[in-house]
Amino acid sequence: MERAVPYTVPLGQREVFQALQRLHMTIFSQSVSPCGKFLASGNNYGQIAIFSLSAALSSEAKEESKKPIVTFQAHDGPVYSMVSTDRHLFSAGDGEVKAWLWVEILKKGCKELWRRQPPYRTSLEVPEINALLLVPKENSLILAGGDCQLHTMDLETGTFTALRGHTDYIHCLALRERNPEVLSGGEDGAVRLWDLRMAKEVQTIEVYKHEECSRPHNGRWIGCLATDSDWMVCGGGPALTLWHLRSSTPTTIFPMWAPQKHVTFYQDLILSAGQGPCVNQWQLSGELKAQVPGSSPGLLSLSLNQQPAAPECKVLTAAGSSCRVDVFTNLGYRAFSLSF
Amino acid sequence: MSSESSKKRKPKVIRSDGAPAEGKRNRSDTEQEGKYYSEEAEVDLRDPGRDYELYKYTCQELQRLMAEIQDLKSRGGKDVAAEIEDRRIQSCVHFMTLKKLNRLAHIRLKKGRDQTHEAKQKVDAYHLQLQNLLYEVMHLQKEITKCLEFKSKHEEIDLVSLEEFYREAPPDISKADITKGDPHQQTLARLDWELEQRKRLAEKYRECLSNKEKILKEIEVKKEYLSSLQPRLNSIMQASLPVQEYLFMPYDQAHKQYETARHLPPPLYVLFVQATAYGQACAHMKSSQPPRQDKTLSVAIEGSVDEAKALFKPHEDSQDDESDSDAEEEQTTKRRRPTLGVQLDDKRKEMLKRHPLSLMLDLKCKDDSVLHLTFYYLMNLNIMTVKAKVTTTTELITPISAGDLLSPDSVLSCLYPGDHGKKTPNPANQYQFDKVGILTLRDYVLELGHPYLWVQKLGGLHFPKEHPQQTVIADHSLSASHMETTMKLLKTRVQSRLALHKQFASLEHGIIPVTSDCQYLFPAKVVSRLVKWVTIAHEDYMELPFTKDIVEAGLAGDTNLYYMALVERGTAKLQAAVVLNPGYSSIPPIFQLCLNWKGEKTNSNDDNIRAMESEVNVCYTELCGPRPGHQLLTNQLQRLCVLLDVYLETESHDDSVEGPKEFPQEKMCLRLFRGPSRMKPFKYNHPQGFFSHR
Repeated sequence: MERAVPYTVPLGQREVFQALQRLHMTIFSQSVSPCGKFLASGNNYGQIAIFSLSAALSSEAKEESKKPIVTFQAHDGPVYSMVSTDRHLFSAGDGEVKAWLWVEILKKGCKELWRRQPPYRTSLEVPEINALLLVPKENSLILAGGDCQLHTMDLETGTFTALRGHTDYIHCLALRERNPEVLSGGEDGAVRLWDLRMAKEVQTIEVYKHEECSRPHNGRWIGCLATDSDWMVCGGGPALTLWHLRSSTPTTIFPMWAPQKHVTFYQDLILSAGQGPCVNQWQLSGELKAQVPGSSPGLLSLSLNQQPAAPECKVLTAAGSSCRVDVFTNLGYRAFSLSF
Repeated sequence: MSSESSKKRKPKVIRSDGAPAEGKRNRSDTEQEGKYYSEEAEVDLRDPGRDYELYKYTCQELQRLMAEIQDLKSRGGKDVAAEIEDRRIQSCVHFMTLKKLNRLAHIRLKKGRDQTHEAKQKVDAYHLQLQNLLYEVMHLQKEITKCLEFKSKHEEIDLVSLEEFYREAPPDISKADITKGDPHQQTLARLDWELEQRKRLAEKYRECLSNKEKILKEIEVKKEYLSSLQPRLNSIMQASLPVQEYLFMPYDQAHKQYETARHLPPPLYVLFVQATAYGQACAHMKSSQPPRQDKTLSVAIEGSVDEAKALFKPHEDSQDDESDSDAEEEQTTKRRRPTLGVQLDDKRKEMLKRHPLSLMLDLKCKDDSVLHLTFYYLMNLNIMTVKAKVTTTTELITPISAGDLLSPDSVLSCLYPGDHGKKTPNPANQYQFDKVGILTLRDYVLELGHPYLWVQKLGGLHFPKEHPQQTVIADHSLSASHMETTMKLLKTRVQSRLALHKQFASLEHGIIPVTSDCQYLFPAKVVSRLVKWVTIAHEDYMELPFTKDIVEAGLAGDTNLYYMALVERGTAKLQAAVVLNPGYSSIPPIFQLCLNWKGEKTNSNDDNIRAMESEVNVCYTELCGPRPGHQLLTNQLQRLCVLLDVYLETESHDDSVEGPKEFPQEKMCLRLFRGPSRMKPFKYNHPQGFFSHR
């Protein structure tokens, strides 16, 4: 009879606190190292953990190899966004962007290389940075978030230029590779297309105004964006919708009730995740191809490791409102979870 | 030429010798032997070199003669025959010579061999002799080393140093003139002196022994005298009692207590001594106040001393009896099954028997509430148990939900993490239980008291898991090292329980009793109201749909207390399942939320509900209030009400629905949403009174 109740180890004050912290952890951002073998993920306590994908995926992987090889306090507030270049890891959260050297991180010497703060107009509260976007052609980094502006930071000189237009804070950014144009989506419900060279807004799509995708009970906000040539997919409060950019018309509306927080093109599929434990796979025609369950109640970020340097680590990782990062070795099922 | 002639002569002689030998074969042997000798002797006389020359010469002659004969024969003719004959004769002579030479050669050879043999034998003999001698030498050397290594017994004797010897020994023993030059004599003398000295010491020893004997006798006499004094003193003591009472001098009482304490079993005795000492130490530290009044810790012994005495005397006998009867019983049980149950019952009772004496510890807290602890000792299990009771100065109105807070069963549960006091700490007990069919001690703790680990430690009992010992002995130092921490923990426990008790009384009536010094944590206007605060069972908690995470994280053990709170505002109902760890308030109560408003919202489908949980569970340190933070639960609940207000007021309004918002925004917020997960501004900024994001 006594065996039926799970045996619980007596916990002291510290252990209880740690357990509670883990329980209330949210992983906001992920980024794969330039070598493709490591995954950085940032949580709501401002910590960045580095996982070794190659160790966790190897045949002799143990429980320890699913734990971070190093964890360090990067920011005071949550780490909302991270991107990697071939040498650096940029992380951003509360107002600041910090640069770290991957080489140093992997040597476990975690000292920031530099930190920069774009000029903010408000002083009452430091606006957060929700999205980072690298524009390799221009050698610049775009920061967007709480102050409703896009800040383009020149990586060589460190100077900021601001793009103004949004009326509420910005959730997400996406890059059109061919002609350096940037898409941004925000709380105000608009997707705006910016020409970087001319530094001005060229197109606006107010998604919530289209009846077929508007969902007033969920709000107007655009939580995720992705582009592929002339196509754009966005979701959030309004339904997840595929748009043709030149004609500004919604092409496909994906039948997903829950608000989506991350979307990406993958081959001829669209992967999306949001409220609910599943990674959704869509055909472009709007058919739901598969729903693969993960271990978190809600997902906030997906990361496809497509680094050519490490073909054996080609995986999809998904993280959200738990301390676990789900790893999908193929798109069919969750292989295992990395854990803070 | 002369050699030539001698050669010629010799063969002649030989021939003359040989001819008769051949001619007269039947001559006597002696003559023949004599001739042999002569030939052997001849060998010595002749020179072998010359014999060789002679041999060569004879051979040449023979060749020549043969050639001539051949020559003559080929020529033919008559005269040839005679000449041939002549030559044949000459040849024959030469042949004789050859024969002689051959014999001589043989004799020489034999002689040579004999000589060699002889020489060889001689060499062998010498060799043997040499070896014998070598062996002898070795043996002698060994003997020598043995002699050199010989240790005399006197070397082990520790002698006085040389100077001392010459200084102290009488001259007739030391004999300086002889011994100074001769170490052997010197050693002998020193040994003599040693012997002398030892004899003297032996004498002294005997003297001392007799002295001791004498003193012992004296002591005996004095003892008798003293024991005769005891009854008299007793009577004086008895007579002085009224005086003592009159003057409030508790000497006799203390004395009596110590007298009784002698009959305590060792663990209780250790506890008694350590607790008394600790109590005195505490009283001394606050010496400014009158000592009697301030006694935070008082110790008393209860139970019948006579029974304890009776238990002590025939202890060994009774144990023997028991083991005998055990054996008998085992036999009888096999024969008569029906009595098995009754016998087992008796055996169980015997096993769980308490020592007739128990120890009462009264621990007084700051607010004059008292924790009464009664310690028992289970003799056969060698463990201690405790029963606890809390009394307060003012009568407590017991709220229904506070039922378990001060109950003797749970008030001290998990004083140290995991120490729930339901299992026996002595690993040996399990085997004893198996014998009499007790499954676990859990079923008996209500009656016996809880065998918490800290109780064993206070009694100096230690049961290491790694090295089970045969006998566990009560250890004073162990008890002393745990006394202070445990007493402090006990006090904190009682205070936190009383604080909770008080808070529960209000909570049950829907009032959140925020104290004035915690008011700054919350805005002045809080609309959400607590409407229900009830206790729920552990099983019910486990079955709630929204507490899965806590259960999986191992935070919902059965030693915790479980409650359900309901906070309401308008049509919105927020259920909060609360885990109250016995370690409150150092371990915070854990809240799990479920909001019923426009559907059911929990942490699995709403990030903001999750954030609200984290606000009360993780950021609890800012809600502790003034030390020691016993107001935490109240503050957490009030915070929950504030959070619900913020949640409801900042919920985005659905444009498509007609009519005004149910909850107009009254709180000042910098921004409504922030970050990718669209968090609401839950953080309250005190003096300015606005809400912002964490």
